Amino acid sequence: MSGKQYLKNQLPVVFINLLGILALSLFLLAGGSSVQSILFISAVWVFTVICWMAATCLSRKKYLEKLLAMTEQLEERYLIAELMAVPEKADDQVFYRILKMAEKSMLEKIGGIQRERKEYREYIEQWIHEVKTPITAMKLLCENNRLDFTRDLLAELEKVTRFTEQALYYARSEHTEKDYAVREIRLEAVIHGAIADNKYLLRQNHVAVTVDAMEDSVYTDDKWVRFILNQLISNAVKYCTKQPALHFYTVRRGERTLLAVEDNGIGIAESDLPRIFEKGFTGQNGRIVQSSTGIGLYLCKRLCDKLGIGLEAHSNEKGTTMVLSFSVNYFVKEVQG
Amino acid sequence: MKYKILIVEDDFTIQTQLKNLLTGNRYEAEAATDFNAVIEQVKAFEPHLILLDIKLPGNDGFAICSQIRVFSDVPIIFVTSSNTDMDELNSIMLGGDAFITKPYNTAILLAKIASLLRRAYPSEQGETLTWKNAVLHLESSVIEYQNQKAELTKNEAKILYYLFKHAGKICPRNDIVDFLWDNQLYVDDNALSVNMTRIRDKLASIGLTDFIKTKHRQGYTL
Repeated sequence: MSGKQYLKNQLPVVFINLLGILALSLFLLAGGSSVQSILFISAVWVFTVICWMAATCLSRKKYLEKLLAMTEQLEERYLIAELMAVPEKADDQVFYRILKMAEKSMLEKIGGIQRERKEYREYIEQWIHEVKTPITAMKLLCENNRLDFTRDLLAELEKVTRFTEQALYYARSEHTEKDYAVREIRLEAVIHGAIADNKYLLRQNHVAVTVDAMEDSVYTDDKWVRFILNQLISNAVKYCTKQPALHFYTVRRGERTLLAVEDNGIGIAESDLPRIFEKGFTGQNGRIVQSSTGIGLYLCKRLCDKLGIGLEAHSNEKGTTMVLSFSVNYFVKEVQG
Repeated sequence: MKYKILIVEDDFTIQTQLKNLLTGNRYEAEAATDFNAVIEQVKAFEPHLILLDIKLPGNDGFAICSQIRVFSDVPIIFVTSSNTDMDELNSIMLGGDAFITKPYNTAILLAKIASLLRRAYPSEQGETLTWKNAVLHLESSVIEYQNQKAELTKNEAKILYYLFKHAGKICPRNDIVDFLWDNQLYVDDNALSVNMTRIRDKLASIGLTDFIKTKHRQGYTL
């Protein structure tokens, strides 16, 4: 609250006082008072008014600034009416009531939207579980009747499965805490699981897969890591060159275990690298490959952040290496040991 | 002896296809028909293993599992489409032995079934396969013919295992590669040819010539 603005608001008061002083002076002058006494009375009047105005201006300023600071500190600012004291001034009380009403309607709206979102999420999750039944049936049908075309069908089914999983994890990524079980997992087992999920896709594209021997175990949720690896594998296949190759290996670096997924694909342009984890970003490769959506890596990054896994991309014209870094958790080992 | 497996699954297509898959892999499979009388069927069929869906009409899989556990320790694999940790935890708490989510990989399902059966019903001697006097020792990866032995690499042993298992039938190259991938050996078509040549050399060295025949454009056969 600026003093100037306050003064401007108080102009009628100043004006009325000046008028009062003028009237009183005229009255006293007519009554035969001396000019000195009139000046003295006027000076006292003006002094009192200025003092009063300064005092109210300061106290008001203090009160409002405190309120402003309080609001700024709040995360949910619309809840300020809950925290502030009920004001004493009549017009302030009206504003207080307005704030209360605004807060109430805001809360109702938020509640409604949250409920809707929850219902929608639940519907999506349920839908995904239901669609998995026919997918399973189709997979079984194909596997029981192996022909060249059922193999191609199986590769397509792997894609369908991956897309449904993507939708499921997207819906769930907001509420990871609900579906998250950390245990000791062998990286090798997760990698082989992810490769098995993409068997027909990899075979269809004649990808040479190598998995280095590894003994590493990490503490994390295996479903999630497998999902992330699935996305990385599908990317490697999507952006491959002739004679594609995929190489999994681990490196121990200090307190962290690094899992590298290396391909010899078309690589990622250096100018694109910083942005590949952004939602909807497809970059230069997106113009080459039609089916880029900019969701896969965004989701991977988001899940990694929630799980405390580092995710980095290194790329040159010879291919891309995606690196997952898991912290070696001594604490868990000690508790278990 | 054939192991008996009971399938408790309400989707008809999955039910029949699972049955085909298991029968094709030399198990005796039967599917539960009345979901209100699963227990009776378990008692009558006496399966060696049960594949149990969680979402079922009437009693759910968890309830059935705990009812079965009252009288039997038969291995139970939960098969479900909801892969939440809560379900997984529940299934283990109620005495399930494994938890597989749909859509599952048939190779993984079969491997799980085989490993559970092996654990629940241990057989005495190490497994061997025999065809025309040639003996394949699975655990030591050795092929034996008239007291002559040849050591095999992991890839070679798996290829021979597949051929022995399907002895007398034609094994398409694609199916062999599929099988190798299911066993985490990621070979391609060229590598398969290289391996076949090596196997033939090894077989010839112990006196087995022309043991594996090539069917042009179809595959291999023993």
